[in-house]
Amino acid sequence: MDTLIAQLQRQFRDYTISLYHQGFLDDQFTELKKLQDECSPDFVAEVVTLFFEDCEKLISNMARALDQTGNVDFKLVGSSVHQLKGSSSSVGAKRVKGLCVTLKECCDSQNFEGCVRCLQQVDIEYKTLKAKLQDLFNLEQQIVQAGGRIPQVDI
Amino acid sequence: MEFKSAEEGRIEKFPVGMRVLAVDDNPTCLRKLEELLLRCKYHVTKTMESKKALEMLRENSNMFDLVISDVEMPDADGFKLLETGLEMDLPVITHSDYDSVMKGILHGACDYLVKPVALKELQNIWHHVVKKNIKSYAKNIGTSRQLLPPSQSDLVPGVSKKRKDKVNDSGDDDDSDREEDDGEGSEQDGDESGTRKKPRVVWSQELHQKFVNAVQQLGLDKAVPKKILDLMNIEGLTRENVASHLQKYRLYLKKIDEGQQQNMTPDAFGTRDSSYFQMAQLDGLRDFTATRQLPSSGLLSRSHLTKIQPHLYSSINLQGMNSSGFIQQGHHQSSSNSANPFGTYHSTLPPRIQNVNLFQRTSSPLESLQFPRSKCSAYMGDFKSIGDRPIGGGFVDSCMSYGSSSTSLPSASTNTLMLQGNYTQPLHTVSSVNQPCIEKTLSNAASPNISVQGLSRLPSQSWQGNLNTTRFLSNSSPLNHAFFPDQVTCAGNNLGDCSSLVSAGNPGGGMQCEPQLLGGFLQNINSLDGQKWEQQNCSMVNNTFGNVEYPLPGDNMVFRENNAARSKGVDESLMSPIENSGNVNSQEYVGKPSTMVSAEMMKSGKPENAHIDNQNQHDVFDDIMNEMMKQEENNGMVSVAARFGFDSFPPP
Repeated sequence: MDTLIAQLQRQFRDYTISLYHQGFLDDQFTELKKLQDECSPDFVAEVVTLFFEDCEKLISNMARALDQTGNVDFKLVGSSVHQLKGSSSSVGAKRVKGLCVTLKECCDSQNFEGCVRCLQQVDIEYKTLKAKLQDLFNLEQQIVQAGGRIPQVDI
Repeated sequence: MEFKSAEEGRIEKFPVGMRVLAVDDNPTCLRKLEELLLRCKYHVTKTMESKKALEMLRENSNMFDLVISDVEMPDADGFKLLETGLEMDLPVITHSDYDSVMKGILHGACDYLVKPVALKELQNIWHHVVKKNIKSYAKNIGTSRQLLPPSQSDLVPGVSKKRKDKVNDSGDDDDSDREEDDGEGSEQDGDESGTRKKPRVVWSQELHQKFVNAVQQLGLDKAVPKKILDLMNIEGLTRENVASHLQKYRLYLKKIDEGQQQNMTPDAFGTRDSSYFQMAQLDGLRDFTATRQLPSSGLLSRSHLTKIQPHLYSSINLQGMNSSGFIQQGHHQSSSNSANPFGTYHSTLPPRIQNVNLFQRTSSPLESLQFPRSKCSAYMGDFKSIGDRPIGGGFVDSCMSYGSSSTSLPSASTNTLMLQGNYTQPLHTVSSVNQPCIEKTLSNAASPNISVQGLSRLPSQSWQGNLNTTRFLSNSSPLNHAFFPDQVTCAGNNLGDCSSLVSAGNPGGGMQCEPQLLGGFLQNINSLDGQKWEQQNCSMVNNTFGNVEYPLPGDNMVFRENNAARSKGVDESLMSPIENSGNVNSQEYVGKPSTMVSAEMMKSGKPENAHIDNQNQHDVFDDIMNEMMKQEENNGMVSVAARFGFDSFPPP
């Protein structure tokens, strides 16, 4: 007999594992979760929010820079992607970070098209992750609201 | 881990409460770092601005124990912060990527952290604080050998062990010498210990006078230690003492001889036979004796001495102070015991003898005044090796103290060994030759042992009042604003407004798709304000970035307050991994306006965006979609930004 809570918990667990297995998240995300406790109960959500805000800001900066046809400030793009790389690695956004590395390389070689392509992918990737994490948080919410406990998922 | 402070009873739980200044312009990294540091139980102050950090550092140098800083920050070079921290003797740790490690270290960072940093790396950073404090502690105490009192030495076991040994050594020496003393007052405290245990004989004026008398009586070439000893008839004096003293005396005489040769006219000193030499010596001595009445106020500074015969003075220095020339000191007894009897003595000498005396001055105290070395301060150490004596003037000091200390002595016919245990003039006062050192002798006994003023330099002091580890939290956004785009700083645009607009069912007016030129994007960025943006773009926003504006169920939204109603149930489509987001996007970026995409997405029912739309079964959306369909004709070029969905509306 599967209660709602158990069902939710199972879904939560499965979803979490899938995120890791598909490379959306890595162990840094686990570290983030470890830092969340009674003293900072919403730590993960807080940091992840900051991260997505970072993404938006930095991607727009880069898009803007790349928009300056003939006068692309690759240095700016480079510093932005450097920032993004830092924050994505801090939260465990594995795919985003990987793309940042590629983007950085394109930027260093001043490969305009490459930069544009990479930036697109970064954009997609972070939005995807955002959606997924939203789902995950929602699941958590549902579990809590149903009176259950959020299960500890060991990857 | 406990770290006992100097003040007894005050136990600080270092590294708990260690005050860290965290600087990073990346809010994500900064927040994470803060949390990690808090987890280590440090006290954290964070800022995103390097300038602000510099301000804080300069405002109060004692505000922080450690700085962790990113190095590539827009408002100021992270290395400036590093340098400032170094100036203030603060340990600074760089926190950046791997490539910046070398740069950081070269700029003086005491350590580096590579992002992403792990908790256990931060758990050890406190040792940099300890290291710095040890260094500054040692620096403050001074270059003279300072010892940690045994209670303190526990704190810095590695550092203090060596010093502890020295303490023990000198302590032992002190004891043994103390036993031998039967003359003067307090012993010299010295951390410098030779490992000499046997008592040193101090050749006081009186003692030397007797010696000289004996030598004269015997005749220099016939003066053998045994006989001299017998003649001197001093209790406790050994033949060895006399022998060594005699040797030095002979050397001294030889020096005099050489000195005389340098200054004498050839005819005056045609020969160098010892008898003449001796006579000259005796003459000189007699002359000295004749000048018994030394002006009481005459003080001959070292500079004066050097002035008299600087070249000779220095030459003696160079050759080493191995001359055992020894001036008759008996006449000093009757001197007024001015601070520098020898000095004044010098001034009254005829030039020839003056030279000699200079040499004597410089050398004699070293050798003949055998202060108990074990008790002496570092200064005393110089007495060990005459050749190493850098400053002749130092001898004068010893002479001074010596002379002055003899005030209390009876005149010549003392039978006691003058153990000058009271010479304690530290090395650093050598330069102040003029100072009367009478008082110095005893009072300086403790000078080498500069008392350790607690661990004022150690972090313990800095922990004062910081044990209440109040977290310095930034204004973290309330949870229900998590993912809320109005937090976003760029362009001041507010997707939240948009979505609220959406849910309010107000698609706004004209939904034109502006020409999707590259430049258009920038123009949009710059020109759009909230209203305009909403009017033009909200629908597109909703569709293109529908997944961004992810509406959430319930009132207590994690991400969004004003979202469309979403089914509370778990939608299976949510659970399925998004596999074809690529497809979705390829459609999006094929050159059609993004409005088309969303329409297609709607049609195709792709999970990524579709489920959102499915979920948002809003009437509003129907309206929007309808209007968007109308704009299918508006095919323009897609700007780079447009490809990211940044077309027509500024980044959220």
